[in-house]
Amino acid sequence: MLQENPAEQKRHKKLIVIWSVTFLILFPVLIALGLLMRLNQGEVFKIDPGTFYALMTLHGLGMAGVLFSFSWAALFYLIGTRYIKLNIGLGYLVYLLVLIGTVGLVIASLIGKFAAGWYLLYPLPFKGVSWTGWSTGLTIVSLIILGVAWLLGSLHVVYALAKEYGSFSNLMGWQYLGKTEPEKELPSIVLITTASLVPAILSFIVGAVFLIMNLMQHFEASLTFDPLLLKNMVFFFGHTLVNVTMYCCVAWVYVLLPEFTKRDWKVNKVVVYSWNGTFIFIMFAYFHHLYMDFVQPVSLHYAGQIASYMSSIPATVVTMFGLIVQVYHAKIKWSIIPMAFLLGMAGWAIGGFAAVVDSTMSINKILHNTLWVPAHFHTYMLLGVVLFILGFLFYLAHNNKEERDAVKPGLGFWTFVFGASGFLLMFYLGGMKSVPRRYADYTGIDIGNVHETGALLAKTAGGFVIIVLIGLLIMYGSLFSKLLKASK
Amino acid sequence: MSKRITFILSIGILGVLFFILSFPLNHWLSQTMPRHQLIQLPLMLVIGLFIGYQNKNINITNLPWGIAILILALFSLMFWMLPRSIDLTVVYPWFNRVMHLHIVGVGFFISLVFRNIMFEVQMAFLLMLSAMLIATGAVLKTFAILLCSSFTIEQQHETGLYLLSFGILLFVVTLFLFFKGLGKVSNQRSSF
Repeated sequence: MLQENPAEQKRHKKLIVIWSVTFLILFPVLIALGLLMRLNQGEVFKIDPGTFYALMTLHGLGMAGVLFSFSWAALFYLIGTRYIKLNIGLGYLVYLLVLIGTVGLVIASLIGKFAAGWYLLYPLPFKGVSWTGWSTGLTIVSLIILGVAWLLGSLHVVYALAKEYGSFSNLMGWQYLGKTEPEKELPSIVLITTASLVPAILSFIVGAVFLIMNLMQHFEASLTFDPLLLKNMVFFFGHTLVNVTMYCCVAWVYVLLPEFTKRDWKVNKVVVYSWNGTFIFIMFAYFHHLYMDFVQPVSLHYAGQIASYMSSIPATVVTMFGLIVQVYHAKIKWSIIPMAFLLGMAGWAIGGFAAVVDSTMSINKILHNTLWVPAHFHTYMLLGVVLFILGFLFYLAHNNKEERDAVKPGLGFWTFVFGASGFLLMFYLGGMKSVPRRYADYTGIDIGNVHETGALLAKTAGGFVIIVLIGLLIMYGSLFSKLLKASK
Repeated sequence: MSKRITFILSIGILGVLFFILSFPLNHWLSQTMPRHQLIQLPLMLVIGLFIGYQNKNINITNLPWGIAILILALFSLMFWMLPRSIDLTVVYPWFNRVMHLHIVGVGFFISLVFRNIMFEVQMAFLLMLSAMLIATGAVLKTFAILLCSSFTIEQQHETGLYLLSFGILLFVVTLFLFFKGLGKVSNQRSSF
């Protein structure tokens, strides 16, 4: 455990407050982009398809990047103030690089109109007619900068943890698998951080190869690559990144929730087995994105289905069981922080279940590229990751246990949860009615009443997004000032 | 022999080596793609690294500067991996020498940064370098059309294969070094 150094703690707090304020500004802006898209699909007003896809690209890239960056920053803060000494200078550098990368993406999407989607599905970035050539290059360079920032940050955290807790095998908790009890206890946050960030590091490198290949084609137009290879690469990178975002958040819940339940949430054999399983299978789960690619070897499709189940179910089940043990008959004061964590876990479970359903081949044949897909990932992002982040922010904004217990989940919080649930329901209903995803509007679909249903659900979803934004604004009223005060 | 004389001698030897590679041997090294890309370029980088290694007086200890230099070095190296740039270096010897000087400079700065920078940053740099080599190798190996008109398609594929293999090897070695590093710090800790 780290020796407390007030000056160091203050520097850490300042950095995380900077991250928090940045997140609180960017998040509603990115939601607003989503709102514009849903209202366009709902035929409330008309945006030209080029602009729609540019907004979709920025919304996707921005959300994935901002959420992962913040989940890493929160880990950096919690680990750096409680367990080990971390280099705050490097923390600031990561922040700066993320900021530069984000600004680059904003310019490329909003000015250059880059609209190839977050996954830059090859060769689409080079075939688009609605965006400028330079915006493709700027997007690629911005993503490389983000990748470098995340790579540096992840390597630093893992290496610093090893300095305190030992080799890689110790970080993964293998000492718990023997017959004797380990001499030194391994905090659960260390195990989950390692199980998340090491696959992330590998995915960043594959992502870097993908981006460099794209950059070379940007400079040398005569180049062409195998689209299937590049699709595999981008989904390995993107799918792992999004999953790791959730796991980073879960890691901090393992640490913070026990402060409210007054029960330990320790590492044991079962926890080690489940997170080691996640560590391995998370890297192969992305194959479920390629079920419709008939040229992909069939064996990889099967591997994808098995890995999808194996990467999510053990860790989820073990964590849910741990959560129940934590809260069952615990004398817990249900302030906004444990409530956000509890509902966030529910969001993870529901979104995860919807994901596993979609990764089942026989079901994927029906749900593939319908609104079911954004339904599941929005569930574990909006009602999972974002709730964890809100819980963390309220934790950060209040300096002691009494204050933290006193912040009840008020109107803003419940408005947010209600709005988010309604918004997600519209996606799920759309999925069930076979409304396709990634359509700027549904006017051209002449199959049954897909057009009318899609538009109606989108319009209703737009209303719920406005409720989400109102909920956020109400929460911001107290969050902003308290966060800034807490950093002083 | 005093340190100063050793320093002057070693810099002199490196200067001579640079001259030999860049002038008398330039024609021979530019005749085939593997010679150009796999011998001449890496040797220039090695010369730069050694010059930096010999210069104990110049130190870059500032972390943000160090990382910024490494990022710039990687991005600038990418320029010399583009087929058009390679063609120009073969057609115009003076352009080839600009590349030589640049790569020596890159090696020099990498060396200055590397000896003081954090282990994690070193690993990040090597991983990104391996990503670059793999990407370039894959391009040269798989592309069925001649990219550099100064060379042949067989040479292009051969160069690509070696770059790809070296990139993968560097990736594996870096991962090994990283995990070995994790083990090493744990041993240091337990010996306290």
